[in-house]
Amino acid sequence: MRLLICNGSPRGKGSNTALLLKHFTDGFSAYSENSFETAYLMRTKEHAAIAEKARRAQAVIIAFPLYADSMPGIVKEFIETLGAPPPKGRAKKQREFPPMGFIVQSGFPEAVHSRCVERYLEKLARRLNARYIGTVIKGGVEGIQDRPAYFNRRLFMAFRSLGRHFGVTKEFHPITMKKLAGLERFSAVSKFFFRLLATAGLFDSGWNKILKQNGAYERRFDRPYQP
Amino acid sequence: MNIVILNGNPDPKQKDPDRYINALGADLSAKGHSFQSFQLRDMEIRQCSGCWSCWIKTPGLCAQRDDMPLIYKAVMAADLVIFSSPVIMGFMSALLKRANERFIPLIHPYIALVEGECHHRGRYDRYPGIGILLHRGPDTDDEDIAIITDTYRRVAINFRTALRCAFTTDRPISEVSHAIADL
Repeated sequence: MRLLICNGSPRGKGSNTALLLKHFTDGFSAYSENSFETAYLMRTKEHAAIAEKARRAQAVIIAFPLYADSMPGIVKEFIETLGAPPPKGRAKKQREFPPMGFIVQSGFPEAVHSRCVERYLEKLARRLNARYIGTVIKGGVEGIQDRPAYFNRRLFMAFRSLGRHFGVTKEFHPITMKKLAGLERFSAVSKFFFRLLATAGLFDSGWNKILKQNGAYERRFDRPYQP
Repeated sequence: MNIVILNGNPDPKQKDPDRYINALGADLSAKGHSFQSFQLRDMEIRQCSGCWSCWIKTPGLCAQRDDMPLIYKAVMAADLVIFSSPVIMGFMSALLKRANERFIPLIHPYIALVEGECHHRGRYDRYPGIGILLHRGPDTDDEDIAIITDTYRRVAINFRTALRCAFTTDRPISEVSHAIADL
């Protein structure tokens, strides 16, 4: 299978999205007949060429971080290119899109944040007349590059397993998807513990550490646009 | 009421959405409201690079040097901010989306439980309400409108405010203006 991966992170090659994709493609490449190419959507000038590659691939995966409850602007720009009519002078009839899958990762721990964009992506595949493979949702991703390796072991294993299965079936394994999506919303018990830990300042401490390193801690509550 | 509208129509050849917004502004001004419209396509608005300078280096200030500070000032002084866009490929334009993402300097990195979910804490004490004004494209259906509306309901929660109104430009201007004035 020839797979085109579109990395929709504005952080590009150093992004968390790229890191998750690396493990996905490690699994995918377990079969020697599989090949993939990664396109970076932050290179907006290349969108038309990437869209053409998408039409020629046997499957397309678009992966991005959740930005303001949806896809980053560069991803929306690419989607607008996918929907654009063929350039003048080209044949009216364009090649059909291959099956499309999506990976959405976010900093929030719960999957519920990504459900709206999931609805959008399912509709997008229909709009493009492409088979919808599915949307993999993974929360709690922010900061994974600062964590000790053992912390990410299971996460990366799950992405490799997702990639391996995809490499054979052109499908996302439903059980792996469910495992990755994890918690949909906090239960009453987790809300209780969240409040307990929040009161202890546990969630702010990570931010405070970086703010202090940057000498910005004292200014953390600044309101430069207060009317 | 102080109303700010972000016009995310990327195409100057598409006159209808701009005409609608101008007429709506005139109507609201005549009712005594303050109305400011930003034509996003004529402004320099860069993609958020995800650098988080606005959270961890220069709290509240974006590292990019472009026209966003004009919008930040107007938004924080407003009572209602309307995100307006033609529906393109079932969603707000990339232009509007780009401006929308650049709102993160206005909130705080700390996380709090809001409506039982994790959301960012506010940076300011008070935020304007949010509205959306959509211009249907030839391929827009009610499902698209519902997806955008539900998304902006969540955008509003993350902006520590609420979605106060959602309109499409097929509704008469006087009716929309009246509904906004009644908020």
